[in-house]
Amino acid sequence: MNKTRSAALAALALALPATAACGGDDGGAVTLRYAFWDDNQRPALEAMIAAFNEDHPDIAVELEQNPWEDYWTGLDSRFAAEDAPDVFWNHVSRFPTYADNGVLLPLTDYIEEDGVDPSVYPASLYDSWRFEDDQYGLPKDWDSIALVYRVDALEAAGIDPATVGDLEWNPVDGGTYVEFLQKLTLDAAGNNALSPDFDPENVVQYGTAMSSNTGQTDWWNYAVQNGCALQTEPWGDYAIDAPECVEAIQFTADLYNRWGVAVPAESTNQPNGGVPGDYVVAGQAATALDGSWTLSFYRDGLEPGTWAVADNPSGPAGSGTVINGLSNAIYAGTEHPDEAWELVKFLGSEEAQAIATDMGSVWPGVSSLNQGFADYWAGQGIDVTGFQTAAEGTTIGYPLSMNDAAFGTAALDEFNQVWLGQKDAQAAAEAVVELANAE
Amino acid sequence: MRTLPATTPRPAPASAQGTPPRAARSWKPRQTLPAYAMLAPSLLGFAVFLIAPILVVVALSFFDWNLLSDPEFVGLENYRALAEDERALQAIGNTFYYVLLNIPAQTVLALLLALALNAKIKARNAFRVIYVLPWMAMPVALGVIWRWVFDPAYGALNRFLGLFGVDGAAWLTDSAWAMPVIASVNVWQYTGYTMLFFLAGLQAIPAQLYEAADVDGASPVHRFFSITLPLLRPAMLFVLITSVIGSFQVFDTIHVMTAGGPAGSTATLNYQIYLESFTQRNAGYASMLAVILFAIIALITLAQAALFRKRTVYDFS
Repeated sequence: MNKTRSAALAALALALPATAACGGDDGGAVTLRYAFWDDNQRPALEAMIAAFNEDHPDIAVELEQNPWEDYWTGLDSRFAAEDAPDVFWNHVSRFPTYADNGVLLPLTDYIEEDGVDPSVYPASLYDSWRFEDDQYGLPKDWDSIALVYRVDALEAAGIDPATVGDLEWNPVDGGTYVEFLQKLTLDAAGNNALSPDFDPENVVQYGTAMSSNTGQTDWWNYAVQNGCALQTEPWGDYAIDAPECVEAIQFTADLYNRWGVAVPAESTNQPNGGVPGDYVVAGQAATALDGSWTLSFYRDGLEPGTWAVADNPSGPAGSGTVINGLSNAIYAGTEHPDEAWELVKFLGSEEAQAIATDMGSVWPGVSSLNQGFADYWAGQGIDVTGFQTAAEGTTIGYPLSMNDAAFGTAALDEFNQVWLGQKDAQAAAEAVVELANAE
Repeated sequence: MRTLPATTPRPAPASAQGTPPRAARSWKPRQTLPAYAMLAPSLLGFAVFLIAPILVVVALSFFDWNLLSDPEFVGLENYRALAEDERALQAIGNTFYYVLLNIPAQTVLALLLALALNAKIKARNAFRVIYVLPWMAMPVALGVIWRWVFDPAYGALNRFLGLFGVDGAAWLTDSAWAMPVIASVNVWQYTGYTMLFFLAGLQAIPAQLYEAADVDGASPVHRFFSITLPLLRPAMLFVLITSVIGSFQVFDTIHVMTAGGPAGSTATLNYQIYLESFTQRNAGYASMLAVILFAIIALITLAQAALFRKRTVYDFS
């Protein structure tokens, strides 16, 4: 390490609030810090750690939660200060830059020595944590997007829930999907958006709520359903200025501004707006395209039987979404690499992930446990196969790029304006591509 | 008969009292060493927590650093890139806009409040506390609450305006409104605090001056501009310098209310530094922006000090 870096680190270390110190090394007792962002999953993490401690009573695990918007800035600055958590949730969008800059501990040797069997995970999920011949994480889960809806809202609108899985949209007249959302958009007098008496200034329930920091729970779905792949190829340039992408972005904007069936972007635009589930649980929206990781949020906020999950709508190119997965990764600078590996190995095991699936937390990284997750939710009266259907079809993997930070910031900034009706979809897409591919 | 020796020094004239005799400035170890010893802890803190980071930031501004690997020396490249960085230039413009929205309103309101609460009115102390309360609350918590108030669909403000048939704007997502709204929240938050300094300044003005003005038949307006305002000059200087610096460094309210949006219209220079450093991982470039911000603030502070150098003194002797 050179002198400038030391000086910079010293300064940053001073600027950052001191984080909890690691446990003492006396007598082998060790404390690991484990960072994550989704508070919905805390109960499952705590249960898994309790199980881990049965076999490893000398390794204490401290959970550190930061919401997604703050998680990455916090992690980056703690890498810079060389005080990062020992184990942390990693995301494919950040993984390439981290691996390339050497802040992740390669797990290849540990995996070989301990004979961890990679075939328990889907190959695509396991391989997404490989960078230049080294493995940098074990799959924690996978996720996809499906259509979550309020059964009571559909019944009130006279819509048969069995038909929800067959909805279709197109960029010209909106198709049956937009008609469905119009029927669910109600003003204070009870008129829906198809009625001539409908008062768009006085809406009490919108058809859908859309909001996303990345695009994953809003426009990416329509993009994929319109044949847009977001990138030229994995690791390639961003290509969202292609016609099929711009059409989907325009369709998303139309749901706000042309059809008026989405909770207004003034309220939902990220990073400060609400998340889709907020509006659905509050009854301000009847449906949302939402992630499998949010199921427990709906379970905890709504009465059983008042909500359900269906397949995504189909666009001109078919039905689909973006699938993604997380891994548990180890910080390269950890003082306790062996203990951290023990934890990561356990969290990646069938035993640990069964605990999470049995609590309905997330779809597991270990393929054989998928049924357990589906069974948990069937027990809650929720059929979650919509998320499995979504993982097929025209579905693509999460975009992979070294420029994710530039893309994410530019996309949020530009498309927030499009959702507000202040900017043209084509111009915004071109601006994003120019910024994201510049580096 | 004794005569006074001619060499007896005469007492120094009042006008020269500002300049101490030479002997007082000479080195007296018995007094100065303990003084320096007592200053040492705060000097150490000053050096470690202020001077050192400033020097590091200036040095980093000549480097390319992504926080994750070693910084790379790039010379003046970051400074050159600024000329073509529309976002950063817009942020500099936004910062001045914000300061201009903020400072005059806050200063005038604080002065008016101080004048009102300096008068003998009922429950004066209760009012003083109430006006200072917003300053005591956490800016982030206030920002979140104000964001709810300004929410166009579900916010209290537009619901209230709706009672009168007024269609409220999309306060925080309309690029014309967002900055004035944020400035107004900050004015609301800091006016009471600023008022405290004016109150202290007002109470330091000798009552005899007003009595004399009454005798001369001066009108209240005349009294304000000839006595109150000139004698508040030291308070005014302090208030302006600290609140201008504070305004140039605004961050928390913006972070929670708009995150710099829409379309970068509320991204001030300080916010842009955060974005560059921590979301784009351009810590070297962000350091350059910090140096620019430092230079701007230093220049403006010097200019203010120069403007207020002239002092008004009324001699009672």
